[in-house]
Order: sequence, then C-alpha cells, then structure tokens
Amino acid sequence: MTLDWSSAINSVWQSPYLGLFLTLMSFQLGLWMFRKSAHQPFLHPVMVSVVSLCLVVLFTDLSFDRYMQSAQLISQFLGPVIVALAIPLYENLASLKKYWLPFVVSNILGGGLTILIAVGILAAMGGSELTVNSMWTKSVTTAFGLKITPEINGLGALAAAIIMFTGIFGAIMAPWLFKLFNIHSAPAQGCALGICAHAVGTSKALEFGSEQGAFAALSMSFMGILCAFVLPFVA
Amino acid sequence: MWRVPLLNWLKNDMLYGLIILLMYLLIGEFVANLLSWPVPGSVLGMILLFITLLIKGGISTDLKTSSNGILPYLPLFIVPASVGIVNFMGIIEQQGFALLTAILVSLIVGIPVCGLLAQRLIKNQLNASQNKDHNS
Repeated sequence: MTLDWSSAINSVWQSPYLGLFLTLMSFQLGLWMFRKSAHQPFLHPVMVSVVSLCLVVLFTDLSFDRYMQSAQLISQFLGPVIVALAIPLYENLASLKKYWLPFVVSNILGGGLTILIAVGILAAMGGSELTVNSMWTKSVTTAFGLKITPEINGLGALAAAIIMFTGIFGAIMAPWLFKLFNIHSAPAQGCALGICAHAVGTSKALEFGSEQGAFAALSMSFMGILCAFVLPFVA
Repeated sequence: MWRVPLLNWLKNDMLYGLIILLMYLLIGEFVANLLSWPVPGSVLGMILLFITLLIKGGISTDLKTSSNGILPYLPLFIVPASVGIVNFMGIIEQQGFALLTAILVSLIVGIPVCGLLAQRLIKNQLNASQNKDHNS
C-alpha cells in the first residue's frame, strides 16, 4: 500500500473547514497572548487573530474568498449577538439614573466632536471618498460598524481596521490623558473610554473599576445606536 | 416571554434564548425594510428587545443563558470580516498616514473633551443638589 501524502495534505488544505479552524486557532492564540502579556492593548485577541489570518491569506494560495466561504459561519453570529447587547444595556441602566444628563451630553457633543475631527482631518489630508465614508463609524464598536458601513457606502473591512486602531490607541492613551487633564470622576472616565475607544476602551474601563465599566459599556451602546440612526442621513 | 408550546419539551434555555434573539433580529430586518430605513436590522432588533425588557422589567433565564453564552464571543465574530482588509492594502499604503493622523488627533482631543464635559456636568449636578439640601 502506498501512502499518498501530498494528496492527503492537499485535501486538508482544500477543506471547507480550514478557514473556520484557522480562525478559531488564531483567536485562541490571541487570547493566550493577551493573557500572558497582562492585557497589553496591542496584543488584543482580535488584533492578533486578524493580523495572523491576513498573513496567511496574503502569503499562501488560500484566497480571501475561499477563507471567507469557510469562516462565513462565524460572521453569521454577528446579527444575533448585536441583538443580545440589549441585555447588558438593560442591566447597566441602573447606574445611569443619577447621571443621565452628563452621560447624554458628553456622548452627543463629545462623541460627535471626535468623529467630526477624524473625518475632517482625513478629508483635508486627501482621503478618498471611500476612506472618508469608512471613517464615520470610528467611534462605534466593530460589530455595529460592520453593519452601518454598507448603509453609508463605506468599506466594512476598512472601517473595522480603523475601529480596531482607534480602540487600541484610545485604551493606551486614556490613562495618560486622564492624569494630564485631571479627570478623576469614575462616570466621566467611563464615558470617555466608552465613547472614544468602544469595546477595547470598555475592557480597559473595567480595569479602573465597575462604575467606569458600566458607563463605558453604556456609552459604547449609546454611540452605536446613535450612529446607526444618524449616520445614514448625514454621512 | 411567551413560549411556543411545541418547543416546550426541549427545555433548553440556550437554544430558546437564541431563537428569541433571531426572532428580534428578523423583526428588526422586517421593520427596517418596511419603513425603508437605512438602519441595520440587527440594531433595530436590539432596540426592540431593549424596549421589551424595559416594559417587562426583567430578563428571562433563557435569554440570560444564551446572551451569557454568546456575548463573550463577540470579538471572535468580527474577525472574518476584518480579514477582508487584505483586499484593500493599496488604500492603506496610500492613505495610511492620513488615517493614522486622523485617528490619533481625534483621540487626543476627544478623550479629554468627553471626560471633562461629563466631569464638569456631574460636579454642577452635585453642587446643585447640595445647595438644594442646604436651602430646604
């Protein structure tokens, strides 16, 4: 009996489960690195996973289309998981009772300002229409961003990259900016992190404390909803 | 939350919760298309579920089980679409510097503005309530 190694290996490489397997593996690797590095924002599991998968797609003959066919299953869960975000939103609502006005004002004015600055700078520096359209969602969490960008003629993948870097840089710079500007109130820290650095900022906020975490989670959801309803009409 | 009698025998909270989430997602898609709103159906579904929770004043165990089950994986679900950036490496090469500048400047201005704005308003609110206590 002869063992046909090359055809066996090739069948694994062509398998419709390969993309699924690689995605889960790289994400697990990312989780492990994130833990080992004591939650270094640059080693965020999504960052590690996306970068390693990009390298595989760019430097092997596994095309993006073939990868996506297999990984599509994972993307499908994006819809129900966004709906499920209603539950933490409802649970965190109690912390809002006292400070709903500061919360709403800083979300609308502060959040609006940071988006307009980013879009303005990009347009002024010669960003193409497609890139500018993808910048509008920079302050919402990626799950929302991926769903909003098609409505405003942006590129989902580019928006995801912008959102990822915004979140990471935001989480890195926030503690330093809080010190510099003497921002010590817990709800204010939470708002700033949730508005400017969405999900990555929310996990950073939880390191500061549970009140910061609740306000960050609320800001993240509020910005997401606000952008979903406003951007299709202004961007 | 009402239960479909036929499915009662399953007694699987995870599955039941997932069915409810998908139901809200589909209602969201339906409403968005019905009103021809350019709002993602999933976001609309989330708002409808949130309103339902507000009206009901609590979360059922099945919904709680399935949201606890899938929410921790949210970051995983965004990975495949994000890998799509490989098709647009040219944009990153040409406009990467502008993108990075826009991101960094908006953060350096945005974080202090959001934080200080909220902090100032909270302080005003506390002072106002203290004065009120004083006067009464």
